[in-house]
Amino acid sequence: MTARVTGRITRRRATLLATVAAGVAVVVALLATGLGRDPSAVASPLVGRMAPNFTLPQLDGQPVTLSKLRGQVVVINFWASWCTECQTEQAALNQTWQQFQDSGVVVLGVNFEDSTGAARDYVRSDSVTYPVVEDAASHTALSYGLRGVPETFVVSRSGRIVSHVIGPVDTTALSNEISAMLPGSQ
Amino acid sequence: MSQLGTYLLLFGLAVAGFGLVTAAVGAKTGRPGLVETARRVAFGLLAIVAAANVTMLVALLTNDFALRYVAENSARETPVFFKALSLWAADDGSLLLWNLVLAGYLAAVAIRFRRDDRPPTFPYALGVLYAVQAFYLVLINGPARPFASLASPPADGRGPAPLLQNHPLMAVHPPFLYLGFIGFTVPFAFGIASLLAGQGSDQWVSLIRRWTLVVWCFLTIGLLLGALWSYSVLGWGGYWAWDPVENVALLPWLMSTAFLHSVMLQERRGMARLWNIALVIGAFALMTFGTFLTRGNVLSSVHAFAQTSVGPAYLGFLALVLLTGFGLVAWRLPTLRSPATLTSAVSREGAFVANNMLLLAATGIILLGTVFPLIVEAVTGQQITVGGPYFRSSITPVFLLILLLAGTAPLLPWRATSRARALRRLRIPAAVAAAVMIATAAAGVTSVYAVAGFGLAALVLVTNGQELVSGISVGRHGGRGGAIRALLRSRRRHAGLVVHIGLALVAAGITASSTLGQQSQVTLKTGQAAVFGGQVLRYQGLRTDQQPQRIVLTATVSVTDPGGVPAGTLAPRMNLYPAATEPIGTPSIHRGAVWDLYASVISLQNDGSSATFRFYRNPGVNWLWAGGLVMALGGIAAAWPPRRRRDGQGRDRGARVPSPRAEAKAGAR
Amino acid sequence: MNALPLARGRAGGAGLVVLAALAAAVITLAVVAVTGKAPASQAQQVQQIAAGLHCPICKDLSVADSPATLAQQMRQQIAQEVSAGESPDQIRAGFVAAYGDSVLMSPPRRGLAGTAYFLPALVLLAGLIAAGALLRRWLRTPRADPAAADSGPPLSAAQRRAVARAVARLREEEPG
Repeated sequence: MTARVTGRITRRRATLLATVAAGVAVVVALLATGLGRDPSAVASPLVGRMAPNFTLPQLDGQPVTLSKLRGQVVVINFWASWCTECQTEQAALNQTWQQFQDSGVVVLGVNFEDSTGAARDYVRSDSVTYPVVEDAASHTALSYGLRGVPETFVVSRSGRIVSHVIGPVDTTALSNEISAMLPGSQ
Repeated sequence: MSQLGTYLLLFGLAVAGFGLVTAAVGAKTGRPGLVETARRVAFGLLAIVAAANVTMLVALLTNDFALRYVAENSARETPVFFKALSLWAADDGSLLLWNLVLAGYLAAVAIRFRRDDRPPTFPYALGVLYAVQAFYLVLINGPARPFASLASPPADGRGPAPLLQNHPLMAVHPPFLYLGFIGFTVPFAFGIASLLAGQGSDQWVSLIRRWTLVVWCFLTIGLLLGALWSYSVLGWGGYWAWDPVENVALLPWLMSTAFLHSVMLQERRGMARLWNIALVIGAFALMTFGTFLTRGNVLSSVHAFAQTSVGPAYLGFLALVLLTGFGLVAWRLPTLRSPATLTSAVSREGAFVANNMLLLAATGIILLGTVFPLIVEAVTGQQITVGGPYFRSSITPVFLLILLLAGTAPLLPWRATSRARALRRLRIPAAVAAAVMIATAAAGVTSVYAVAGFGLAALVLVTNGQELVSGISVGRHGGRGGAIRALLRSRRRHAGLVVHIGLALVAAGITASSTLGQQSQVTLKTGQAAVFGGQVLRYQGLRTDQQPQRIVLTATVSVTDPGGVPAGTLAPRMNLYPAATEPIGTPSIHRGAVWDLYASVISLQNDGSSATFRFYRNPGVNWLWAGGLVMALGGIAAAWPPRRRRDGQGRDRGARVPSPRAEAKAGAR
Repeated sequence: MNALPLARGRAGGAGLVVLAALAAAVITLAVVAVTGKAPASQAQQVQQIAAGLHCPICKDLSVADSPATLAQQMRQQIAQEVSAGESPDQIRAGFVAAYGDSVLMSPPRRGLAGTAYFLPALVLLAGLIAAGALLRRWLRTPRADPAAADSGPPLSAAQRRAVARAVARLREEEPG
């Protein structure tokens, strides 16, 4: 082979190799962004928006309408009696209710895909004292983009969703969040 | 048990490393002694990895809960059959099986080339195989350790995931799939070897064609079993959900199908040499990518293994495979002269180009669709879903074109020498296809894809059937008698025609089940009946079975044909496992030649006095299984080694050669 | 170069049959495509909308296919909204507001996500161009014919075919 042909081959090789290396780098960088994320964790689009309104019947009592609670901080907790993780966060929710019920905060439990009897038993056995409503046809759960239980939404006094927690809530984080929204803390 | 397993795996890694070094040095220096040592080491490696698998099996069967893997994937009440299958129930255990199959293939290569008729690329290929095995052994010794032990072993294990102990298909689906996937390592190794050694690859290709064909058969069966599982076990009435893991399993199959066709370009005409190597590298790369996607927890999937830290390792390996494979191809590309010539695009050569183009387009579309959510989220942070409807609408036109090709290309000659004959042979198939389309449309089918699908499936069936029949009759006229002998005379071509016929059945099955199915959801009280598809389905009641590892609730439904003729009972089940929050349903299926009656119980009310059912009428599903089986059998027939004639002293007289008179007769038609 | 005049006549006849079959097929497909389908009943509308939504708690299944309770309740809500007169777009928008774009089975049509709908055509086009370029290169390469110099009388077409077939059969049965 002449030197010119060799040179042409070397140049062509260099271009091709560079293309392959670049292509592989792009592919690997793209796939690497997928690592470290939990693929089943989906961000809720509701954070920052007005909380969808609902009117649901309590287990034993009057129906509750969310818009009528405007002016108070509302902690909406979706739960079910068959949900084991809900039991682990029950103490946290009870404590939050104890701590803040006189400060313009409402903890509202929304029962999801459950039976009234089982819900009542749970409320009794786990000493739930805050209001609990039933969402029989799951219309409210669907409007809140529920994927499972427990999920908790914190609604500000102006009716806007400020945070969304998937899984059991943490007492400290929740009370910090609520305290920050109460008058006198700004 | 934990210690034994761990030491076995470490020893295996050392042996693989030794094999790799020996093979590499043997390749570079050309010393046959080293190469022979590297070859023999393969058997030792197989023994060690097999021993590790047996160790885990024994640990599972003896309830050794000191091992973390046994504690997480088995329990005392698990039946023995499923305890054994737990070996591949989760990520790290299934890596044991992966290593075993890979070591098995290594040993098979070692046996195949035990004599001196080895290609010069053999030492390089051996080195590549050892390198891949070393990676998977590093994985199993590092991030994913199945023999890790627990500080305080529990009294009882958690048991396998309920879905994985619900059906015997668990015994065969993963092994066949692994045989199919891992098998691509061998063609890949020889492809890389031929690029490294710079050897002319014609010798390579006839070697590799049969290996790839066997692997293709395994993968076909593995995919078929996966679809059968989805249909018979998961209870949603379908067999393919376009799950990311399902999609990536299909990609190497498509690419290797393309290879099995373009390899004939190289065998007959010496064309497409580098392209074939690239295809084989691509198939292996897609398989590695598929492994990364399945085990790296990157996309949400039904097959998602438990989260482990192996993702980065697989990604690194994938990068290495891509760089090495395509880098070597890029290296060799400029020095390649293409001797290929073509007289006309409308020829067998042109058809193979079209075949490759369509199959690779299908691969590209499915691949892009599967990773698209990842791309979008990486760039804009938006989370989207790419599901069944997208894939169905984008891939159906491509598959219809592939069917069109499969129904016309077998008639085309090499070098376009007798196209008039091809046109003559197309008369009957084209007429039948048109007739089928008209009949389907007249019967009231409203989907264009359905009409086209049935028509093209008929085209493929008649074309390939016609060629098969004429091939047999030509062979018989040669005076050798016997249809079987005639079939075997052009075994590869006839086997290929059989595979196409299987494809036609699969296409007809997919078309029928996708477009002509019916479904209905009803809630029935005990004794109440519903009318579905002309039959009367009456809910008889609930039966409860207490089994050691689960509670089985069976809802019996009696089936009555129009006219009052009883047609058996359906018994869909709900299985309650202690570990699962929701019950796992098992459907009940009455399989028929034309359609299946399929029942699932969705929920029970009032302690079983009322139940919600889903009934399906699925046409053509059994054509799918039958057609897939025909494809796999055709592939095996094509891969079967030819009989060699032996004379009186047992000396090998070489393969049989047909008489020239038979050829002249065939040419006159 | 290939066929004798008699054979061409027969080939011409065969060509007509194939052409007629092709025309019949194309016309049938066109008729089916254009034929108005019966307007979908409410139940079918619900099914269609549900088939386009991804069951949020399942992997891969649509709301129509999923047996999960939440999916059932979604279907009931869709049925209520359909009988209330809401359009499919409105119903879908409602679910997207609650669940995000990932509740749609297919990517939304705007933005980067919408490019998904161009990808299949682009891939096919790229394949066609590549295949076309390759075929053109093969067609253009001049045939080197060193054997033509000192061979005997040329073989007839039939003889050439017979030889090619015999060689092919031989190759099929060789080892490896």
